[in-house]
Amino acid sequence: MTNKTILDIKNLYANAGDKEIIKGLNLIINEGEVHAIMGPNGGGKSTLANVLSGKGGYTPTSGSVFFKGKDLFSLNVEQRANEGLFLLMQYPIEIEGVAFITFLKHALNAKRTYEGQKEIDMPSFMRLVRDEADRLFISSDMLKRSINAGFSGGEKKKMETLQMKILQPTLAVLDEADSGLDIDALKVVSGGINSLRDGKRAFLIITHHQDLLDQIEPDFVHVFAGGRIVKSGDKNLALQLEAQGYADFIKGEKC
Amino acid sequence: MLKLPENITLKETHIPALEALRQKGKAAFSGLPSLKDEAFKYTPVQSVLTDEMFQTNPCCDNFDGCACTQKQLDFEAHRFFFCDGTLHEHFHPMQGMEVLPLSEALENHEASGHINKFDALKHPFTALNLSCLEQGLFLRIFQTPSNPIVLFYQAKQSGLKNIYNVILLEKGVSAEIVEIFEGQNEAYFTNVVNEIFVAKEASLKHYKLQNEALNAVHMAFNRVEVKSKGCYESCVFQKGGKLARHELDVCLLEENASAFLNAAYKIKGNTLADTTTNIAHLKPFTASDQLIKGVVDENARGVFQGKICVAQNAVQTKGYQLHKALLLSDGAGVDVKPELEIFADDVKCSHGATCGDLNKDELFYLKSRGICENKAREMLTDAFLKTVFEGISNPDIKNLFENF
Repeated sequence: MTNKTILDIKNLYANAGDKEIIKGLNLIINEGEVHAIMGPNGGGKSTLANVLSGKGGYTPTSGSVFFKGKDLFSLNVEQRANEGLFLLMQYPIEIEGVAFITFLKHALNAKRTYEGQKEIDMPSFMRLVRDEADRLFISSDMLKRSINAGFSGGEKKKMETLQMKILQPTLAVLDEADSGLDIDALKVVSGGINSLRDGKRAFLIITHHQDLLDQIEPDFVHVFAGGRIVKSGDKNLALQLEAQGYADFIKGEKC
Repeated sequence: MLKLPENITLKETHIPALEALRQKGKAAFSGLPSLKDEAFKYTPVQSVLTDEMFQTNPCCDNFDGCACTQKQLDFEAHRFFFCDGTLHEHFHPMQGMEVLPLSEALENHEASGHINKFDALKHPFTALNLSCLEQGLFLRIFQTPSNPIVLFYQAKQSGLKNIYNVILLEKGVSAEIVEIFEGQNEAYFTNVVNEIFVAKEASLKHYKLQNEALNAVHMAFNRVEVKSKGCYESCVFQKGGKLARHELDVCLLEENASAFLNAAYKIKGNTLADTTTNIAHLKPFTASDQLIKGVVDENARGVFQGKICVAQNAVQTKGYQLHKALLLSDGAGVDVKPELEIFADDVKCSHGATCGDLNKDELFYLKSRGICENKAREMLTDAFLKTVFEGISNPDIKNLFENF
């Protein structure tokens, strides 16, 4: 039995600014699969995350990406999100003056409206958020504050994880989810991510460390260098990378 | 140049003190200011004020039936209503306050001594206001009121709404006054003068929400005098009008007097919103702080003119001023003119101005969570303005600003 394809990237080329960073990427992610992309710095991993989410300054130049059968590049940033694409950001920004809880309610209601559902009422929303926040050790005070205002790296990632849990994406792209995390925070965040694995939801985990993959076991591991995938394998590939480094895999690839 | 309109008919001609002020205003008014006048160089009043705006239309006499008075608030307040520029003179007696229509106050010898104590005749709209003097409220507060005082100004017809209020806070009194301006879609001209005295150790919190009709002109001149250890705090939010100016002229008359002025404007279309302040530090140890933020969209224009004067003997003075604007479209603009005139040594004064677009990364972050462009922009502009209202201590009033 083959699972439904969620993300289908064919021969993708893309620029960051004027510079070509992604050079002929192919990747298929099916329902329920966890893919890890590993690779050296500057290989274009984060560019991939930004191209998928539609961030300004990142332009696909050729090739195609289909998300749940839809041409991803025909959708704007918010449509991609409402279709179920979630980008957990490497450096979540602080937005002074926008209360996190208000922001999250707008985000959830945007998705519900997009799906033709009624907006959630405040008491149900608060119950839902309170519940998930408790599991991530997020205090009520943190929920009331402005988005990420004054939060540590670990707290920011917990807040990102909370958003992901509430918005229930079809595909979560985690861009360096482990950066800035101590061991305890890493466990909390990866626990949150694991709790979303339901055999349907798919994950694309961008990382350069094995640490996160010890917590979230991937089905597929890809080595990303020079703007494309140079080697794919199962979780053992990540262990091999950890032991040997990237050098053997990227011979002849320009980074 | 527009001469004093001839078609203004005024009542209460039998009151000598009132007539005297009218004559004083008439003599001083030398026409509307042009762009050549320094104080109005960015604010083209001549091109927006039309003859229609100077007509006087009768207001309804039926207090109970008047829609103006049906305005609801979520909190307890002493409420006063100006309907088309005319004060509804049905006051309940209020403890700790003397409340009179301005014309009656002018008949009363003791009260009239407090009216028009400043030489504002150089100010063209104050001279114009005095020449048409009839309506206004005289409010002397001698005991701290338990609730805020709310002044509603409603415009339903075209024409002139000429109002002169006098607000006196006696020693040690603390009061909150909220002004709310609203209007239906007519070409009218609101010309308000507030003459405010804050006595020794008294504290006035003066709030204003301005949402005039988009083809109306709004001119408000607020003249404030603050005595020793007195504090004048104001927060203003302007949204409406074709041309609207909030002008604040504060004299810190004695030592340790202070003034805190916050203002926001959020405008679009062809609206021009002007915030003009003039703070005079006349004695040592006086302090002022101003934060003005504007969000300007479409072809709207913001104007900020902020002057801080420190007199020669006013040492140990603190005077700060900051103006920040968000320009949301190519057609939007701001004119900013800070002026510091410092004649004393040993003072701390600063001014700053910034101007820019919304932060792209913040916008992307909100949209990447499914929030549409318009909503995301609204959330970020609200967040930008929010800091202006943060210091409002009364949660009911803060709520009015945040949901305005």
